[in-house]
Amino acid sequence: MDISFALTGKGYVIVAADTTAAHSIIKVKLDEDKIKTLSPHLLMAYTGEPGDTVQFAEYIERNIRLYQIRNIYALRPPSAASWIRRSLADSLRSRKPYSVNLLLGGYDTSTHTPHLYWIDYLGTLASVPFAAHGYGSYFALSLLDRYHDPEASLEEGLATLRRCIDEVSKRLIVSPGKYKVKVVDKDGVRELDF
Amino acid sequence: MNSFVSRFASTGHDVELRKAREAFGDEDESLEMWGSQAGFGPLSKGVPSFSVPAVPDPSAFLRLHTDDHADPSCRIKIKHGTTTLAFRFRGGVIVAVDSRATAGSYIASGTVKKVIEINPYLLGTMAGGAADCQYWETYLGIQCRLHELRNRERISVSAASKYLSNLVYSYKGMGLSMGTMICGWDKTGPAVFYVDSDGTRLKGDVFSVGSGSTFAYGVLDQGYHWDLTDEEAQELGRRSIYAAGHRDAYSGNTINLYHVKEDGWKFIGNYDVSEMHYEGPAGVGYGYEIRTAGKSSANPPPEPESQTAQT
Amino acid sequence: MARRYDSRTTIFSPEGRLYQIEYAMEAISHAGTVLGVLAKDGIVLAAEKKVTGKLLDLSSAKQGGYGGSGEKIFLLNSNVVAGVAGITADANSLVNYARQAAQRHLYLYNEDIPVELLAQRLCDLKQGYTQYGGLRPFGVSLLYAGYDPHYHFQLYHSDPSGNYSGWKATCIGANNGTAQSLLKQEYKDDITMEDAIGLVLRVMSKTMDSTTLGSEKLEFATLTLDPATKTPKAKVYRPAEVDALLEKQGLGKKDEDTEMRAT
Repeated sequence: MDISFALTGKGYVIVAADTTAAHSIIKVKLDEDKIKTLSPHLLMAYTGEPGDTVQFAEYIERNIRLYQIRNIYALRPPSAASWIRRSLADSLRSRKPYSVNLLLGGYDTSTHTPHLYWIDYLGTLASVPFAAHGYGSYFALSLLDRYHDPEASLEEGLATLRRCIDEVSKRLIVSPGKYKVKVVDKDGVRELDF
Repeated sequence: MNSFVSRFASTGHDVELRKAREAFGDEDESLEMWGSQAGFGPLSKGVPSFSVPAVPDPSAFLRLHTDDHADPSCRIKIKHGTTTLAFRFRGGVIVAVDSRATAGSYIASGTVKKVIEINPYLLGTMAGGAADCQYWETYLGIQCRLHELRNRERISVSAASKYLSNLVYSYKGMGLSMGTMICGWDKTGPAVFYVDSDGTRLKGDVFSVGSGSTFAYGVLDQGYHWDLTDEEAQELGRRSIYAAGHRDAYSGNTINLYHVKEDGWKFIGNYDVSEMHYEGPAGVGYGYEIRTAGKSSANPPPEPESQTAQT
Repeated sequence: MARRYDSRTTIFSPEGRLYQIEYAMEAISHAGTVLGVLAKDGIVLAAEKKVTGKLLDLSSAKQGGYGGSGEKIFLLNSNVVAGVAGITADANSLVNYARQAAQRHLYLYNEDIPVELLAQRLCDLKQGYTQYGGLRPFGVSLLYAGYDPHYHFQLYHSDPSGNYSGWKATCIGANNGTAQSLLKQEYKDDITMEDAIGLVLRVMSKTMDSTTLGSEKLEFATLTLDPATKTPKAKVYRPAEVDALLEKQGLGKKDEDTEMRAT
């Protein structure tokens, strides 16, 4: 039931995820942060099997950090995406695979380019201008096909995100109440009031 | 004995049908050909008159031989994938549908007429079982005409949809599969009713039905308001079906667009989804890659790079 | 008694030295010169081949698919060219290791290996051979000319001990002291590729034993950015291209050739 959205704009990536932690028919927590900051210019929204999500996200987080310590520089977003994808693909072929879907947003400071990757638990990796996981994708993708602008300002990008969230609230029966919204750009990662 | 009684009874759909047939002077088809009673097993005997198939238990038969419910691997596949939409606005009703028919993963047809022209003022849309929709909406057309003849005025959209709703409700649990919007213009103005085979009947402004409906809603809801101009409304309907045709594997091929106004419906056009993707209705493609061609999210600093590579 | 500390790489001498490493470095200082210069828009690499004898059959000298005769200059990855000085057999082994390391990085991270990382990988290996018992260190120094998005064009040098360092211009092999001081005098920041090529050939012609330069003694390579794709483009010169370049720079052997023919 988790829903996450992400979209790129001129020099930034916005990543949004609902903040509901549910168990059976019960909302257990209403302000869970499902977006992890992996490095100064890398964000990851994770959804999927409860338990797997946080375990996997932390595993990724620590390994990205380890790479940064071992080597001179942090992984750039495309390389981080490739490595994360491989981790999931290897996991899928293990005894107990992680069931986690990801949206990876990053800003490449060496080429001044925002990057967004859609990754699923099967190890599918796609570089996309906008993305969604969960039931939200059924409503948001057609909307984003229509309204997304790769050169939108941050304000315009947030307005488009607002459309997605409104649409899901309007049409989805079990729509979540709140979302956490983070943005990554040349200045790094920050959370936005939304 | 029962068949004799029901033949002259004055209620029941088959009887209505017979009367209609008589009114049209079309008697060379017998009722038996419509599968009404002709010794059709125990179910049709003793109880007055539903038109049901000649098997002991029609719903069990359907469950066994179609992909309804649990078993998608069976031989007869009922058309499920579809996108249809209809919405009401100041200038009337827009009805837009795709034209793809699928049987499992197979595209059975790309030229299906999913808007059923019930009469010059009423349109019905088709989602779910194609045969069910086609048959019962045609039948609804007959009833609407009879209503007109009997009452010297056109049937309201509300009444027509209620008739259909009651009709499909009477077959509830027997395997009918329909999700339809009855659209038209009557004394109350533009009207849209959603009717499905569960028996649900809803009055509303905006509806979309079918596997691609979520995608259509995404575009439709965000562009919709009451005061749309005719052109804007037609564009919204077309754009919304395109969105579903693009994103939903079970929808696509072409778009059929209708506009209902005070003087009845008008067919606006048939639009190829691929053509809409690349060229659009007026030269600008709907496709995301087409619309945003040449744009980039890269944000290099303003100072010009003086890279003059050489070898 | 010096032999007690000579015969094992893993043993320090009482003065705290590892003789085997020093011998390896000594071996390199007799090897053919390799010279690298970092320009603002590319890197130039040149290497001297020691001709082993007149009777050596060079007619079938292998030409790598990327050009060059594959004796001194190697393409390690699409973004890194290396020049080697030292024991050729050891060098081949290291080149092979480097190429595999680069491919492994590509497999894991879907990007060209950053230049410094590749140098590090090799140095980790080299260092290992200074420590593990019964093993001899690699008698090879390398110059790495590479490009990556992090630091753009880079020039690194690594020696048998496993040390590495970054340079604007440097030289390994025979006469490297002379070459270094020449480079120090003539190198300017923001040097263009054209000037760098000239500088490299000039220095090479002064430091090499022979009085003339030619493709049978010189290997040459450049690394630039493809103006269209903005991706690194390595060019290892074929013998004919080397001769053409020397001619263009006025360093060709035409004078000597005519003399030789005259005599």
